[in-house]
This record gives sequence, C-alpha cells and structure tokens, in this order.
Amino acid sequence: MLDPEQVRLDLSDLAGGPVTITGAASLGAQRSTLFVDYPVAGSSTAAVAQISTSVLQAVPTTLEAHILGLVHAAGVPVPEVLTAVDELPRIKLPAMVVTRVDGETVPRQILRSLPGPDAGHELARACGVAMARIHGIDPTLLPASLPSPTNDAFLATQTEVVNLLNEPRPVVRYAIEWLRQHPIADVNPVLVHGDFRNGNLAIDRGHLNAVLDWELTHRGDPMEDLAWFCLRTWRFGNDHAPAGGFGSLAALIEGYEQGGGTFRSEAFTWWSIARSVWWANGLASQGAAFSKGLTDLIVLAASGRRVPELEYDLLTLINQS
Amino acid sequence: MIDHPDPISLLEAMAKTLDEQVVPATSGGAKHQARVVANLCRIIARELATDDQPTQRDLADLLGCDGDLETLIRELDDRLRDGTAPDNTLPVLLADARRRAEIAKPGYTDA
Repeated sequence: MLDPEQVRLDLSDLAGGPVTITGAASLGAQRSTLFVDYPVAGSSTAAVAQISTSVLQAVPTTLEAHILGLVHAAGVPVPEVLTAVDELPRIKLPAMVVTRVDGETVPRQILRSLPGPDAGHELARACGVAMARIHGIDPTLLPASLPSPTNDAFLATQTEVVNLLNEPRPVVRYAIEWLRQHPIADVNPVLVHGDFRNGNLAIDRGHLNAVLDWELTHRGDPMEDLAWFCLRTWRFGNDHAPAGGFGSLAALIEGYEQGGGTFRSEAFTWWSIARSVWWANGLASQGAAFSKGLTDLIVLAASGRRVPELEYDLLTLINQS
Repeated sequence: MIDHPDPISLLEAMAKTLDEQVVPATSGGAKHQARVVANLCRIIARELATDDQPTQRDLADLLGCDGDLETLIRELDDRLRDGTAPDNTLPVLLADARRRAEIAKPGYTDA
C-alpha cells in the first residue's frame, strides 16, 4: 500500500512547492490515482497524480508523458501533463501529474448518463475520430524507444505467458496457433494507444473530454485499437453496441474514416482474437498470482474466473472466420 | 456421513447474505469486495451443479485415450504445444468453453 505522507513529500519536492492530497479517485492494482492540489506558476491547481504500481508491461512514465504531448498537438483530447518522473525518490515508483479533466470515467455510469442511442453512436464516432488522429501522427515523430512488436513477436510473448502460467490453457494455445496460421499483412506501424476502451475515457454528457491511461502505448497495427475497444468485455453487458457498449461498429468506422483512418476488416478480426488472447492471459495471470500465493486480493482471484468469457468469445470469433 | 446443508445451498445462502445484508451496509472497497465474493460463491455453486462428464467424454473421444478430466485437459494442452492436436479440436474446445462461460456468467453464450 502507498503511504500518502511519503507520496505527498515526494510530489512536493517534484513540484518545488507544497502539494496537498485531497482524495483518492481509485487505488487499483495497476495504478493509484490521487486528487491533488498542485502548484503551477505560483498558484494551486486541481490536478491528478497517477502513481504506477503496475506489473503489466508498460512504457516508462516519461515516455508516456512525451506521447501525451504529441497526441495533444494532433488534436486528441487528453489531460495536460504537469510533470512526469520514472521514479519518485521515497516511494520508488513512477508518477505523472496531469490536469484534472471533467467527466465520468466509470463505464456503467457513462452508459447510464447517455441521453439515448443517438448520443451513444455520436460518442462512438468521436472515439473513431480520436483513434484516427492518434494513428495519423507522423511515425517519424515517435521516439525510437517506443515498443514496436511485430505480430509474430506479439504471439511469441503470449506463448511465453501461457508457459509461465504453469496450468493447462488449451484454448489460448489453440488460438495462438490459429493466429499464426492465419497471418494478416503487416502494415507500416503507427502510434497505437493500446488500451483505448470504455473505462479509460472521460465522458461529459456524451462528449469525449479525454482519452486516458496511455501506459500501454506502442507502435503497431491501428486495427489493434479498434478491435480492443469493441471487445465484449468493454461493452459492460450492452452486447448489441460493440463500440464501448454505447455505439455501433458502423458509427465507430464512420468517425474513424472521417478522421482519415482506413478500416481493415480482416485485421480487425485478427486483433479481436489476438487481444482476447492477451486479456485471457492477463486475467489468468492475475488468478495465478493468487494461486501461487503472491497476493491474497480476492479481486485478483476472481479475475481467474473471468477467463472462460474471453475464451468463449475468441473461439466464437475463430469459428465464424 | 453427509452433513447438511449441502455445499450448493450454503454457497447460495452465502451469496444472498452478502448481497442483501453486507453490500447495502458497506461502502467503497469493502462494498466492492463483498460483491466480488458473492459472485464467486455463485460461480462455485454453479460449478458444483454442472456436469463435466460431457467434456470428459468429448476429450476422451478426441484424444483416443482415457483419464480423468484434468489428465485429459493436460494431454490436449501438451499436444497443442507440440503441434500434434487432432483436426477436430475446435468444436470440443468451444463446447467446453460454452459450459465454463455459463458457469462464470449465466446467459453469456446466449448472445
């Protein structure tokens, strides 16, 4: 657990002035999000401090901050970075402080707050436009240190993860092999958010105010973002609305093309299966951490029991392909 | 000797108690965890009530060998790892995934 006083001292040193922690937005397994008053140009500003406690593969926080600057310049709605550091001296964890953005981030609240289906489709279009702007950034502007896995490397990593689980996962093995046997054409890699989904968006009355949580950003196939966004997991029970549980795929594609993107159906399906594999592995790894005695958090134990949903979805996709 | 109440009834009662008594009386992280535990109780109750014989039979037919469910799953996993899985593996995996998804979340395979 984070010691709030140590965090406050670390952040105050970083700011060169007193920082006050005013509350906790979330204390997740991957990242703790704190509300803070942060000094900017002599006056106290409402901000959000994100302390990364992630065990997931993620880019360094300073690189994430650099990417936020790039996408902001490209017209993607994101919070403004006030400061970022890869290791705070006391708590030895990476931190980023950003301006506070209005809007709801809890998925079910977002779905409830939309005035009607048209608002959902409109929001899906806005998400499509935002993705197209991310993917449209000149790749020569991207830092060389940004991870850029090939599809083969992605699959090899997933095989490693299954092997490390040390429990039989025939469905995931089958799917990885299927993806190997049905390769899609490699495209010139572009900037990909990596975790663009309902839950990482700030929405204010149907308006997309910010795209959050860029720690999985990398260079890759743009269809990875669209596929991940449409995964059934992120529809929160609204299975009829593939785009985040609020919009149609058609609306998402419409926005994407309006923003200058090109939708590729085959790659979309490939990545829908590939990111289902990735998430099945992620959930199984959380469950395995419990089984191995590395954590006693019941929510992580419960993650292991969500794997069948992902496995059913990905086999259904394979069966239909 | 078999003691009563039976495990499935107990798990269902545990879930009900958490949902109806503990969840409304708590907030924040404790409320969330109570919901998660209630859900896990229901998952285990459904798992205990679900027959896994069909999966075992399917796997035995597919692999042409015998054994308990865990042994057969390990055997299939090994063959997939070695690239020697039978051609008709997909329908067996899909049927089993359907069964397990219904345990995890009833109605999940309706859509």
